[in-house]
Amino acid sequence: MTRAIDNPDLIARYARVPGAFDEMFDTEGGVRAPWAYFSSALQALGPGEFERRRGEAQRLLQQSGMTYNVYDDPRGRERPWALDPVPLLIGSEEWSEIESGLNQRAELLNLILADIYGPRELIRKGLLPMELVYAHGGFLRACHDTGLPGPRQLITYAADLARGPDGQMWVMADKTQAPSGAGYALANRTVMSRILPSLFRDSQVHRLSLFFQTLRNALAALSPQQEQNPRIVILTPGPHNETYSEHAFLAGYLGYTLVQGDDLTVRDGRVWLRSLNRLEPVDIILRRVDGAYCDPLELKPESRLGVPGLVEAVRRGNVAVANPLGSSVLENPALMAFLPAIAEHLLGQPLRLPTAASWWCGQAKEMGYVLDKLENLVIKMIHPRSGERPVFGAALSHEEREQLRARIRAHPHLYVGQEALELSLTPTWTPQGLAPRRTVLRSYLVTREDGYVVMPGGLTRVAEEAPNPLVSNQSGAISKDTWVLASEPEKQVSLWPQPRFRPALSALRGPLPGGAADNLFWMGRYAERSEELVRLLRTALARHNDLLEFGDADIEQTLHRLLDALAYISATPAAPGGPNPAAAHSIDARLRHLILEPQAPGTLVSNLHHLEGAAYRVRDRLSRDTLRVMSDVSSRLLALEQAKNGNLVELRDELDTLLTTLAALSGLATESMQRGQDWLFLDMGRRLERAQLITALIRAVLVQPAPQTTEDLLLESLLRATESLTAYRRDFGAHPQIDTVLEVILLDGANPRSLGYQLQRLQAHLDMLPGETDATRLGEEARLILDISTLLRLTDTHALALTDPQNGTRADLNDLLMRMDEGLRALSETLTRHYFTDPRGPQQLQPAQAEPAT
Amino acid sequence: MKYRIVHTTEYTYQAPVTLCHNEVHLRPRDFSGQRCLSNTLDITPPPSILSRRADFFGNEVGYFAVQTPHEQLSVTATSEVQTEAETQLHFQSQIPWNEAAERLARDLHPNVLEARQYVFDSPSVQAWPGLADYAAHAFPPGRPLGEAVHDLMARIHQDFAYDPDFTTVATPLTEVFEHRRGVCQDFAHLAIACLRSRGLAARYVSGYIETDAPPGGVKLVGADASHAWFAVFDPDLGWLDFDPTNNQIPMDRHITTAWGRDYADITPLKGVIYGGGTAQKTRVAVDVARIE
Repeated sequence: MTRAIDNPDLIARYARVPGAFDEMFDTEGGVRAPWAYFSSALQALGPGEFERRRGEAQRLLQQSGMTYNVYDDPRGRERPWALDPVPLLIGSEEWSEIESGLNQRAELLNLILADIYGPRELIRKGLLPMELVYAHGGFLRACHDTGLPGPRQLITYAADLARGPDGQMWVMADKTQAPSGAGYALANRTVMSRILPSLFRDSQVHRLSLFFQTLRNALAALSPQQEQNPRIVILTPGPHNETYSEHAFLAGYLGYTLVQGDDLTVRDGRVWLRSLNRLEPVDIILRRVDGAYCDPLELKPESRLGVPGLVEAVRRGNVAVANPLGSSVLENPALMAFLPAIAEHLLGQPLRLPTAASWWCGQAKEMGYVLDKLENLVIKMIHPRSGERPVFGAALSHEEREQLRARIRAHPHLYVGQEALELSLTPTWTPQGLAPRRTVLRSYLVTREDGYVVMPGGLTRVAEEAPNPLVSNQSGAISKDTWVLASEPEKQVSLWPQPRFRPALSALRGPLPGGAADNLFWMGRYAERSEELVRLLRTALARHNDLLEFGDADIEQTLHRLLDALAYISATPAAPGGPNPAAAHSIDARLRHLILEPQAPGTLVSNLHHLEGAAYRVRDRLSRDTLRVMSDVSSRLLALEQAKNGNLVELRDELDTLLTTLAALSGLATESMQRGQDWLFLDMGRRLERAQLITALIRAVLVQPAPQTTEDLLLESLLRATESLTAYRRDFGAHPQIDTVLEVILLDGANPRSLGYQLQRLQAHLDMLPGETDATRLGEEARLILDISTLLRLTDTHALALTDPQNGTRADLNDLLMRMDEGLRALSETLTRHYFTDPRGPQQLQPAQAEPAT
Repeated sequence: MKYRIVHTTEYTYQAPVTLCHNEVHLRPRDFSGQRCLSNTLDITPPPSILSRRADFFGNEVGYFAVQTPHEQLSVTATSEVQTEAETQLHFQSQIPWNEAAERLARDLHPNVLEARQYVFDSPSVQAWPGLADYAAHAFPPGRPLGEAVHDLMARIHQDFAYDPDFTTVATPLTEVFEHRRGVCQDFAHLAIACLRSRGLAARYVSGYIETDAPPGGVKLVGADASHAWFAVFDPDLGWLDFDPTNNQIPMDRHITTAWGRDYADITPLKGVIYGGGTAQKTRVAVDVARIE
């Protein structure tokens, strides 16, 4: 097969599909007007350059951390977001028609929503079959009459649009619950404007930022308290959700706090955000959690994603939720069959945008038609449960079709048949050049005072393979930027320069939900642990090198002691002192295990995976640079895993590169992170981890005295691993002595790697934590740290160096280290209990059974 | 008849509960056969917030939150209710049941439309294939609705054993059906499922029953606890109540608290607690006393 690069004429090689509508080419093969400039620019760039830009786009997206989670993907979450560098282009004239059609549709759906949760006139008048509301899982009876106070109920709305063979744009689906993808559209745009800057500029593409400004206005206008600076949060189901990275991205971009249900609580009929040990009022919730899961008291009792009492807080008007709870009742393909008549009734207008022809089986005649024409239709549920997908009649076997018919007959009102539309095709970049792909455009709207604003653009998705009629991200589709062309150049609008939209200072120092504090703390701990492990492993690898060179028994002894220490501090099997099966293993195998074993909890790779996970969960709070470095960490981790069959020298090279990356991570935190609560918890995690590692390391290496030569080598390794060797030599000369070594790595307050230094920092951090509400509580942490600091300061290092004649160990040293370890553990547990998520999450009262024994 | 009903629910927790949100359906409804003369709620510890409103089905629902740590929660509803023995319409319900079902599917009369929501599956009552067969015997085409439902009630009463140890509120209906045992709530749910499988509208009714036997009468089941039964919709006559647990037509000795699609809509007391440990102890006591 020829690759695109071998043939520069991209356009000539493009294979159009006869009979289908092509977005770029007319039936004669000519380039459609809106595409003229783009296609010539594309030709001018040439395939080689275009391919290079595509790679750049993927790299940028990966660095930004945009992912799409796939539930049943064995690799779990974080499938990279795929962006095709060829956008979908739409001319300004056509767009204004689409825009007015979408505006009308949003207005109409808004009126229907208000009616469904209010008077339900449409049902009474026979315009809307009551089954479509009452038998739809999105209809939340508890939310009757709890609407938003403003002029509109439907705050955000998205429509999936597709073009049929005749060139007409059709509405395929309405998204009224919590439309996803606007953030991806923005991320796509950011990348496209970087990889094709001049092409983008000269194409006069409508900007997206105004849309997000309108979204902010629309949300702020919902504030029940009419406050100047209402607190707005984004409620996410959490990191396992398919679009979590979008939630995080939007939270960062809009300056809202990203929260999960557990971060919120209802007291006095209002919603509060648990921020460390304070409660901060929440005025507006932009939700990405399905309505039915938002309150286990009044809605689905089994939900773990919601906030008990939320519906009552909404009912009291103390919090506004957008879109309102229950809005997914409009996500119903059967509704489409009734929209034309409802539009005439409510608006006195015909629908401007046509809807795919739909036959709701709740009506006898329509059911007959659907059963009859099953082969030609797409069958949908009026309210698909998760995992239920539209069924293409044509794709079913005879038997499957009969089963489907039986299901429809059993519950006709739950099914709708829809005309299978042959979607239009858009040129898409493949290794073989441009190829046609089926296309769906998701378009976004948000309300403002006088109507709705349509995002001039949207999220275009194309099928990965040409013939696939189903386009959905869950089955793995590729996204495109959508360029709506302006008739004249447009001024750049950014969120930042407008004083109205500048985030209040408090947004930077804003609330820190317990869950986020927890993850920052652990991100710090895993980063530190990974870094220290790498240092130790390098020290061990250096000794291993010496061993190969000199074959010295002392070196071998030292190396085994070091490996024991590594195993001990990383809590992988084979602690020192005990029966030691690992000692029998070859040194090579032990090193590899410590670095690479993914199943053992304490190894380097598993720590790096934990680091990735913790960073992923707080990614909305991390700076771009930090995200970039984290993306490097992931690449290094991958490289390390790929080097697993290489020799130790190769592994050592990988560790060197990894160390640089990890050092960059800690450098960023030290140098460019605001000294707010986020930093405080990240750094406490680091300090606590470092303190525990030093303690464990000394314990593993020095409590059991070794022969003099070995001990000298161990002391030197210890200094090397704690980066204290140079300073030690300067102060105490070349030959390490145990008491002075302990002085330097335990007590020296000027050594940023000593235990004493970590305790000092922890103490200072604890003083900065908010704790004024409960004085006794802060006391607990302060007391713990004071206890061990005092103990450490009173220590005499000469005594620590002495061996107990009774049992042949350095008993005083062991005692001290054990007490340090206990204190540090207690501190970590206390922090967890006081500041992180409440382990006593909400649970249901056991209902009393009606009629117990008589 | 006039009754005084005291309904107490007590929870004892293993560990302190720091916050709880609750909903109660504990006030008897007002309708043509019944008037609630008074209703008070005593909650210990006292809630920080308490409000009452009408729920989607027109029942009164109370919301309260206790925001101080507590290891015990006690909720007592005291109500005085006047009931009237209404004319029994059940045997006037002559409309063929299949015609009633057709009317339900088509008629846009507000009462019929309102009743139609009780035809669909609901949280605790979901149809399954074997069920329609069980109900089939009682529903030959053309049989008058009142007679058919009466027959269904009698069948359930006869086929199912009353066994409070067998089920909990979480026991699925299919299991009740398979083992042919359960309590009033299960029997009501089962009847509702059967009726809905025929396209009829059926709702769940919760309330109380006077159990003191009148001289020479039979002591009724359901003493010292809340009770439950069902009602079916006749497009011409309205809602008709049936008590499958006692195989009788509820009269003035049944006191109605609330109605909904099933138990989940009108649970007498439900709540979400923070803390409380892993074990909760529940005690329920109901006293129904005739005062006039």
